[in-house]
Formats: sequence, structure tokens, C-alpha cells
Amino acid sequence: MKNLFIYSLTAFVFSSVLWIMWSFFTVQSGIVPNWMGSLMYLPHAARVLMVVYFGWRSIPGLYLAELWGPYYLAEDAYNFALWIPSAISVLSVSAALYALKFFGFPLGTTIQSPLNKRNYKHIGLITMISAFFNALLVNVYLSQIHANFEPVDADINQVLRFFVGDMLGVLVVFIFLATFLKPVLQQSQSKS
Amino acid sequence: MEEFYKNISDALNMLSGMEKDLNIRHFTPNELKVFHTIILRSADNEEGSNISEIVQNSGMSRSTVYKTLKKLSTEGVINLHKSEEDGRESLVVLNSVP
Repeated sequence: MKNLFIYSLTAFVFSSVLWIMWSFFTVQSGIVPNWMGSLMYLPHAARVLMVVYFGWRSIPGLYLAELWGPYYLAEDAYNFALWIPSAISVLSVSAALYALKFFGFPLGTTIQSPLNKRNYKHIGLITMISAFFNALLVNVYLSQIHANFEPVDADINQVLRFFVGDMLGVLVVFIFLATFLKPVLQQSQSKS
Repeated sequence: MEEFYKNISDALNMLSGMEKDLNIRHFTPNELKVFHTIILRSADNEEGSNISEIVQNSGMSRSTVYKTLKKLSTEGVINLHKSEEDGRESLVVLNSVP
């Protein structure tokens, strides 16, 4: 339980910032009019980064942001209850980590670790698997309860859009972070 | 709090590796601005962004954007090619990570 509040708060703030940015670029600016299953879904980066680096302690904050974001920033876009889809989305990264651990790739911080959290290519793999779980499970749930962004059931195109959107969203956020945090990165590089 | 900072440091290490492979470590603020704009435009347009859009979205002058694009192109970060729809317009496409 140590640091639960600080981890959760960090996750909430980070995820909320990405929600605001994503909502601005896609929903409010109208750049992508038919945005359901966005092709550049930034908040997935918060799920990946927070769960990989902070673990389960970030999940309460992430879950709150997943509910706060859609209900306050894009309330018109969601015409179904988000309690379960949001939980599935937040837990998709944990599911990816457990799946990788099950197949002999536990998460670590050294070069010897099968899955190294300091290697962005490994984070890319986690992103891909979590995006797959998220796309598949959320859409299976939506089709089971016959709910969706549009008055038709979720289909395979929507699953693909979710998958690609999560991956591209994470890529864009990571590149932004890498460039915006350049001075910090150079400092940490010179120390190590 | 020590564990919190250690986790942040691990995340920074991961981003640092990405920055190194993307070859953007030496970028000036203007180059970063143009690079960010190209990335954002690329998400909406797979064929590449035209220079007028980059000028409009970056908030920088046309001549600065041209100079910066030329430098990024020389370094192999981007590719410039003529638009098929409008021969007078150049399209900017990000190169893949080497």
C-alpha cells in the first residue's frame, strides 16, 4: 500500500492530461468527425506507462481518469455505461503483463530480464499485446450487451480501429515525451 | 518516494533509448517544433503533410520552416517529394527508424 496515493494521483493527472489533449484533437476540433474507435488514441499511453512503471497502484487513478475523461470531456460520444469497458481497458495492460509472464517473459529492469522495462522495444511489445486485449475484449463486451458508439453492433473493423488507434496513440505520446523531456534525458544520460 | 523516483528513472531510460534510435537528440527547438508538427499531421494523413500545413500548424515563418525541413531532410529524418495532385507542392514524409 506504500505510495498508493502518489502513484494513483500521478496516473490520474497524466491520464487526464492525455484525455484533454485527445478530446481536443479529435472530438472538439472535429478533425476526425467519425471518431469512434479513434486512429490515434492517446490515453492508452497512460495505461501502458503507468501500469508498467508503477504497477497495480496506478490502477485506481487510471480508472478514475477513464471515467472522468469520457463523462466530462466527450459525454455526447458515449451512449452506454462505461464502468465495465473502462475497467477492461485499464486492466488490458496488466493482462498483457500476466500473459507475457505466463509464457516466460517476466518484467524486469536489467538487460538480462526477458522483458526489460528500460527497453522501448519491449514496451512496444507490451503495448501491442495490451492493445490487442483492449480492442478484442471491449468490443466483445459491447457486442454482447448490444451497445456501441453507433446504433450497430461492434464489428471487426472497430476492433482493428481500436488496435491501431491504441498503438499509434502510444507511439505519438512516446515520441512527444522523448522530445519534450530532452533536457531531462540528457541530464540522466550524463549521470549514468 | 525513492521507489517512485526509481520508476520514473526507468521510464526516462526507456524514452532515452527511443530518442537515441530516432536520432533526434541534437535537435534545436525549431527542429523539434517542426518535427512535432509533422508527427501530428502524419497521424491524419498517411501520404505526407504539405509544407503550407506545417507552416500553419507550427506557427513559424515559411522561411524558417523551409530551412528546418531542408536540414531534417539532409539528416535523413524526413523525405521531401512532389505532390501528385499539385506539382508545385512538396509533401513531407517521416522516414522510418534506422
